[in-house]
Amino acid sequence: MATAISKKVCLLGDFAVGKTSLVRRFVYNLFNDKYLSTIGVKVSRKAVAVPRGDDVVELSMMLWDLAGSEEFSQLRDSYLRGAAGAVLVCDLTRPETLESLRSYAEDLLRISPGARLILAANKRDLTDQQRLTPQQIEAVAADLHAPCYLTSAKTGEEVEALFRRLGQMLVEAAPGTGR
Amino acid sequence: MNGTPAQLVLQDRRIAYAIADRNLQVVEVGGAPDLLGEDAVSCLGRALVDLVPELVGSEDALAEILDGARERFQLDWVNREVAGRILYLTMVDLPLRSPGGRVAGLIHIVQDTTEMGILGQELAQRRNELRLLYDQLARRNRELAAANAELRRLDEIKSTFVSVSAHELRTPLSLITGYLEMLLEENFGPLNPDQRECLETVQRSAHRLWGLVNNLLDVTRIEAGRIELTLRPTNLAALVERVVAEFRPQLEARAQRLALQVPPGLPPALCDETRAAQIIGNLLSNASKYTPEGGRITIALSPAAEEGFLQLAVADTGVGISPDDRTHLFDRFFRSRAAVQGKVEGLGLGLYIARSLVELHGGRIWVESEPGRGSTFYVTFPVAGPAGDTPPLGETGPGPRAAG
Repeated sequence: MATAISKKVCLLGDFAVGKTSLVRRFVYNLFNDKYLSTIGVKVSRKAVAVPRGDDVVELSMMLWDLAGSEEFSQLRDSYLRGAAGAVLVCDLTRPETLESLRSYAEDLLRISPGARLILAANKRDLTDQQRLTPQQIEAVAADLHAPCYLTSAKTGEEVEALFRRLGQMLVEAAPGTGR
Repeated sequence: MNGTPAQLVLQDRRIAYAIADRNLQVVEVGGAPDLLGEDAVSCLGRALVDLVPELVGSEDALAEILDGARERFQLDWVNREVAGRILYLTMVDLPLRSPGGRVAGLIHIVQDTTEMGILGQELAQRRNELRLLYDQLARRNRELAAANAELRRLDEIKSTFVSVSAHELRTPLSLITGYLEMLLEENFGPLNPDQRECLETVQRSAHRLWGLVNNLLDVTRIEAGRIELTLRPTNLAALVERVVAEFRPQLEARAQRLALQVPPGLPPALCDETRAAQIIGNLLSNASKYTPEGGRITIALSPAAEEGFLQLAVADTGVGISPDDRTHLFDRFFRSRAAVQGKVEGLGLGLYIARSLVELHGGRIWVESEPGRGSTFYVTFPVAGPAGDTPPLGETGPGPRAAG
């Protein structure tokens, strides 16, 4: 019988990098071009089956899509509490969004020291507007000890792979039993 | 509790609650039913985190409440999609104590803050859109600044090249024109008519080349800000007459009539005589070039509409200038359609130099033109001293005069 566990995953990054779109693509396989700012937090659930040895773990990912605007930074501590992992999202067309991932990671690890990190450099479909090189992204990812993926919430490229990889990391980090 | 005053208050204030025991199992729900989800009642006896998924990961905080180590746990601005619309909720968990003071469980309170949330969302939306726009503009500005810097660098390279080339051309040109003059003065022996004609043709070309080289040097001086004016009270009418005299052979060769109109009592202009002559010469040269043979050119001096200035107008009966060309007429290296089609010689620098020199004098230059009917170029020069203080120059001559 498969083991069932539930893990909290936060999506962190500056405003308009595509956090909500990544969740929407992963959970509902939908995309909307219109930008809608998130305030506060929206929690979505997605169950994934993650193999672990001979077993399969039914991982319920509680995806916390957090507001990117700094007005919510004071609330962020309570949002970050208990996170087992985080997707750090930057926008390939806005270089400044990559550098700010360091402080998001720092905040998260201060509240939830054992959290696993993964980096999503989003909007890879906007090929002619990209201002970040793979080397720049890999450098930040290496500093944060996080695997990185070039994603497109619009086309869906690498979105499933990103979350599945994080799911694998969470299962590997989890003790044998769920909640 | 349905229908009780407390329930009515909770429903009206858009508040719901769930009570959990020490095992965090839901034992009671109440208040506005949609805030806890439609199946809230079916969650009785189940884990609180099943009813409130936002509490997953916060179990330790809830445990702290049960242990009496924490008084509250709060989550603000929690978004929930209910029946296609977003609800904004504030969630608070508080300890529930028995009469003896022991923590018997906790109460999870949910309050609907959607009205404020919608306003907050709209505000965040506008602010973020503005930030994105600002970032885009800032990025574009940086790109433009970099492009400008590169253009300036290339422009400097070009100016240096032009300046150096023009200077290098002057030395051999001086020798050519010097020896031509000596030849034409028959210092090396008499010339037969054919030889003289050939040498005069060479001399005209050499003079034209001198003009081009001098124009290029002037452009580089203007751009480097290295033109210095020696401003003196100047009899503008006399200066115009001098320039006209220099152009007389050219005008006669094209059978062009020139009228000079000077009213009596004009004060002197404050200008650099050499540069003012250059301005007048450029305008007169253009008027002659673009006016057909037998055409008429008029030079008129008068007080300008702007107090303290004199106005010089050079009018021709030439081909005129199209409105499109007028926009760029005073730009560097601009060649009008008429110049290109009519194969009129020049680099497109005369009017650029004229404008720069006029502006250095503090005056203005502009043109009025009707294609096919001719053009009039206007230039203003400042009057020497306060208007009316300077006595009129008697030598200017009485009334309109005609030349050519």
